[in-house]
Amino acid sequence: MSLNNLRDLYQQVILERYKKPRNRGKTNPVDRYQKGHNPSCGDTIELTLKLDGDSDRIEDVKFEGEGCAIAMASVDLMAEALKGRTTAEALEMVQKFQAMMRGEAEFPQELRKLNVMQGVAQFPVRIKCANLSWHTLKAALELQQGVKPAGFVSNE
Amino acid sequence: MTIAQERTLASKVRADFPILHQQVHGHPLVYLDNAASSQKPKAVLEALQHYYQTDNANVHRGVHTLSSRATDAYEGARDKVAAFVNAATREQIVYTRNASEAINLVAYSWGMNQLQPGDEIMLSVMEHHSNLIPWQFVAQRTGAVLKFVELTDTQEFDLDHFRSLISDKTKLVSVVHVSNTLGCINPIEEITRIAHQYGARVLIDACQSVPHMPIDVQAIDCDWLVASGHKMCAPTGIGFLYGKLDLLRSMPPFLGGGEMIADVFLDHSTYADLPHKFEAGTPAIAEAIGLGAAVDYLTNIGMDKIHAYEEELTLYLFDQLNQIPEVKTYGPQPNATASNRAALASFTTGAVHPHDLSTILDQAGIAIRAGHHCTQPLHRYLNAQSTARASLYFYNTREEIDAFIVSLKEAIEFFGSIFG
Repeated sequence: MSLNNLRDLYQQVILERYKKPRNRGKTNPVDRYQKGHNPSCGDTIELTLKLDGDSDRIEDVKFEGEGCAIAMASVDLMAEALKGRTTAEALEMVQKFQAMMRGEAEFPQELRKLNVMQGVAQFPVRIKCANLSWHTLKAALELQQGVKPAGFVSNE
Repeated sequence: MTIAQERTLASKVRADFPILHQQVHGHPLVYLDNAASSQKPKAVLEALQHYYQTDNANVHRGVHTLSSRATDAYEGARDKVAAFVNAATREQIVYTRNASEAINLVAYSWGMNQLQPGDEIMLSVMEHHSNLIPWQFVAQRTGAVLKFVELTDTQEFDLDHFRSLISDKTKLVSVVHVSNTLGCINPIEEITRIAHQYGARVLIDACQSVPHMPIDVQAIDCDWLVASGHKMCAPTGIGFLYGKLDLLRSMPPFLGGGEMIADVFLDHSTYADLPHKFEAGTPAIAEAIGLGAAVDYLTNIGMDKIHAYEEELTLYLFDQLNQIPEVKTYGPQPNATASNRAALASFTTGAVHPHDLSTILDQAGIAIRAGHHCTQPLHRYLNAQSTARASLYFYNTREEIDAFIVSLKEAIEFFGSIFG
């Protein structure tokens, strides 16, 4: 088996996050809620955000759900990286992450932890797994505060 | 059949499948995703090539030589399919794009017109989405009610539950013959017999059985049976519907267009006889001819032989999987001769998510399916987010199962080292 290729994809950080995610649960209060779904495999996440209304900053992000190692590590790392960011900055990070999945960008020094997901770009069929959380985040941020989401966003 | 003989069958046919002889990520391809789609033998590829190189023209249209040859080949393939499933007449075989379209044909032509509010449609929880969603459409439109047969403790079709659900309100029983996820072989003759006692019609989704075992529609006595070409060595884009003659005659056309007409006026039309009434527009001519070539190929090997060989593979596959403690399989364990289940295994491995497992196996050249296999309600019923599935065909070997098992163990170890 080409274990070297696999170690690029399944870096230690990814496997550790999969095993012991640090951001599972629900924020208190829930200022934004969005469910994301990858219909081709059935993976589902539920994302909650706590926002500071005055500064438009994300105070906390949590997730629930089940998925593969890539999806779970991606959402856990994302949750951590978002804390303290403004919603505008978070939307820029969505763009950046998606560009990274195309092999066209990487995160700067202060967000370098997210760069462990870079290996996924070499496995095109798995990009969806890594993108699920970011896709869901985008939908959550674009919702008006206090508006209930119509359903889940699909990652297709 | 002895092991020596069964090796002879796989080794005899493997040369017929050019695609199998390649490396993937530096390893020999081990193709174990046959329940999703089978590979095609040279005979089928050559039939496609021959058609386009020598006979290509539209069917049932022209009087010229090429059109006549194309029509003969297209209709000749229908005869082959009819004989393959033992239909009494060729008119009972309607070409469709795939099994989904065949079920939709019955749902729209028969279901939408015949069912009334309160009528019951009986399905099972193990149905493929293709045998679920068309009936959801029918129920929403007609007011008919969907009922679902559940599973036994061994995750097979619960015939007792079926008996308890069926009544005079049941107008249709539509069930899968072989589950693409559980692998169980459902007692469709018994199901059909009971359904008919209540005057219900019966549709059999035979996508996972027609490619793997002899099928006799007259012995089953079902009202309709559908199958898909690409799972039985034929090209994609072609499948078929079998139906009882009087029933097909009574059903109105599904799609309108060329080919399906007799006389057309500006405000009304009369329709062609069976089977062309249901084949609107220029059909998938090459693909139908390819299906005929696939039927010839399978018939020459012998469906009995294919089935017997696959039973041996099933026993070996489960014997190997059962030795890995982390592996949990779904559906029934094979009985002594594996006569109760198909040569496929859906499974989970604890720490390794099916998607991750599929990526890891792919790096070793091994193709398996990961996900819900188009049976989301079944996965919900089984309380499984998703499963991995290895599905075999008659060209697979024990050595391929061995390669799969070795890599599966390595994957479990790879993740286990983190989780240990």
